[in-house]
Amino acid sequence: MFGGLKEKLQAARKRLGSSIQAVATAPVTPDTATAPGVSALVPEQKSATPATPTFAEKVRVLLVERELIVSDKDVADALSELEMTLLESDVALPATDAIIAHVRKGLLGKHRKIGESVDSIVVNALRTALLEVLGDGFDLLDYIRTHPRPVKILFTGVNGTGKTTTVAKIGAFLKKEGFTVVIGAGDTYRAGAIEQIGVHAERIGIKIIQHQEGGDPSAVLFDTVQYAVSHKIDVVLADTAGRFHNKANLMSQLDKIKRVMKPDLVVYVDEAVAGNDAVTRAFEFDKTVGADAVVLTKADMDSRGGAAISIAHTIGKPLMFLGTGQAYDDIVPFEPAKVVEELLEGGS
Amino acid sequence: MTTTTQPMDQRELMTLQHYMKEYGQQAEIFVSQLDMLENGRMEALAAIDALQGMVASDDGTVLLQIGGGASVRAKILEPEKILIAIGAEVIVERSNKEAVDFLKERIMEMEASQKKVAETLDRLRAQMNEINKRLESGYQQSMAEQDQD
Repeated sequence: MFGGLKEKLQAARKRLGSSIQAVATAPVTPDTATAPGVSALVPEQKSATPATPTFAEKVRVLLVERELIVSDKDVADALSELEMTLLESDVALPATDAIIAHVRKGLLGKHRKIGESVDSIVVNALRTALLEVLGDGFDLLDYIRTHPRPVKILFTGVNGTGKTTTVAKIGAFLKKEGFTVVIGAGDTYRAGAIEQIGVHAERIGIKIIQHQEGGDPSAVLFDTVQYAVSHKIDVVLADTAGRFHNKANLMSQLDKIKRVMKPDLVVYVDEAVAGNDAVTRAFEFDKTVGADAVVLTKADMDSRGGAAISIAHTIGKPLMFLGTGQAYDDIVPFEPAKVVEELLEGGS
Repeated sequence: MTTTTQPMDQRELMTLQHYMKEYGQQAEIFVSQLDMLENGRMEALAAIDALQGMVASDDGTVLLQIGGGASVRAKILEPEKILIAIGAEVIVERSNKEAVDFLKERIMEMEASQKKVAETLDRLRAQMNEINKRLESGYQQSMAEQDQD
C-alpha cells in the first residue's frame, strides 16, 4: 500500500537529511559568548553557584554539545523537492502546503544538538507534519459504543467505487467485533444491486432488508431502521445507489433518504486510486449532502497514496477505513500513526 | 473453494450463479482499469516521442493534429519549456529532458499498477473457474436426477 509514496518520501527524507548534515558538519566559529576568550587564560575560580558553567564545561558544550541552527536557506531546495514529490503523488495542493509548512516549522530555527541523529530530526519533522495533515482518524467502534443504538450509517458515493462491497466488509468487521448488524438494500436503482448485497449478507450471516428493484430507497431504509429498533440491533448499514453530486434528482433522493432514516453518520465511499479526483468528489459531496467520514477502497492498488494523505485535511472529515483487497476482512481501520510509521519506516 | 461430490440443491446453484455474476462484474471493473492504465501508458509514450521529436526537429516545426485526421504545421516557440501536469491538478514548467524523465517515471508507475491489477484479475478468474466447475457439476447432477425421474 502506497509503495510509490513511501519510496519518494524516503528519497526526500535523505535529501533533507543531507542538507541538515551539511549545516552540522560546517565549521562553527564560536562567538564571544561561548568562546574561551580571556577567561581561558585566567585560572578557574570555584563558583558558589553550580549553575555557572566551568571553563571545562564551556569547552565541552562548544565541542561536544554544540548546537546547530537550521536556516531556511539550508533546506529550501530539499523542501521544494519534497513539495514536488507530494504533488507528483497526487497529494492535494492545500495538504502539500500544510505538510511543507509543518516540516519547515519543525526544522527551521531549532537548536539541534550536534550529537543528535540528523535522520531522526528529519523523520520527526515529517512524522509531525503528516500526522497534523492526516488528523485523528475515526474510531467507528468507539463511536458505536458511545452512541444510542441503533447507530444508523448511510453510505454514499459515486458509481462503481465499491460501496456495496464496503457495506458488506464493514458489516463483517462489526459482526466480528461483537455487534449485531442489519443491512438496508437501499440501492434499488442499479440492476442486480439488491441481489449482490443479498449474497454478501448471506455469506457473512447478516440480516438484510430489501424491497423490489426500482422501489423507493427511503422506504427500504426506513423499514431497516424499524427492524433494527424492534430487534434491538446495534448498527444499521444503509447501502445507496451510486450517484454524481451534479445529478440534482439523485441528490434530492439522497436528501429524502436522510430526512426519513435520520442517519447518525453519513459515510462517503470512493476509491483511493482516483487520487485527487476522489478528494474533489468528496469535497463536492460534503458540500451537497454532507459527510461525516470517508472510506477509500482499492488502497492496495494505490501506489501514490495522494487521496489518503489529503482527504482529511482538504474536506475536514476523517478517513475511517481503507479497503485493501477482495476478501471480507480486507478492510482496515485508518490509524494515522500506523500509516505514518509505515510510510517512514526503513530507509535510514 | 473445494469441489464436493455432495448433491447440490437449487438454492446452492442459485448462490453460485450470484457469485459468478458478482465476480464477473468485479472482473469487468478491473479490465476497464487495465484499459485506462494502458491508455495512459500509450499517451505518455506518445508524449515522449513528441517531446524528443521537437528537440530533434531543426527549426522546431512539428505536425499538430487538430482532429478528424487533419494536421497543420506548427512551430514550437519554446521546445525546451514544457508545461506538465504533475498531479493534484498542478502544472509546472520543466525542461524537455525533465519532462521526458517525469513521463518515463509515470510509465513505470503505470506498469507496476498494471501488474497488480492483472494479478488481482488472474486470482478473480481462477475463482470464477472454480465456481464454473462447481456449477457445471451441479447442472450435470440435476440433469442426471431428471433422467432418473
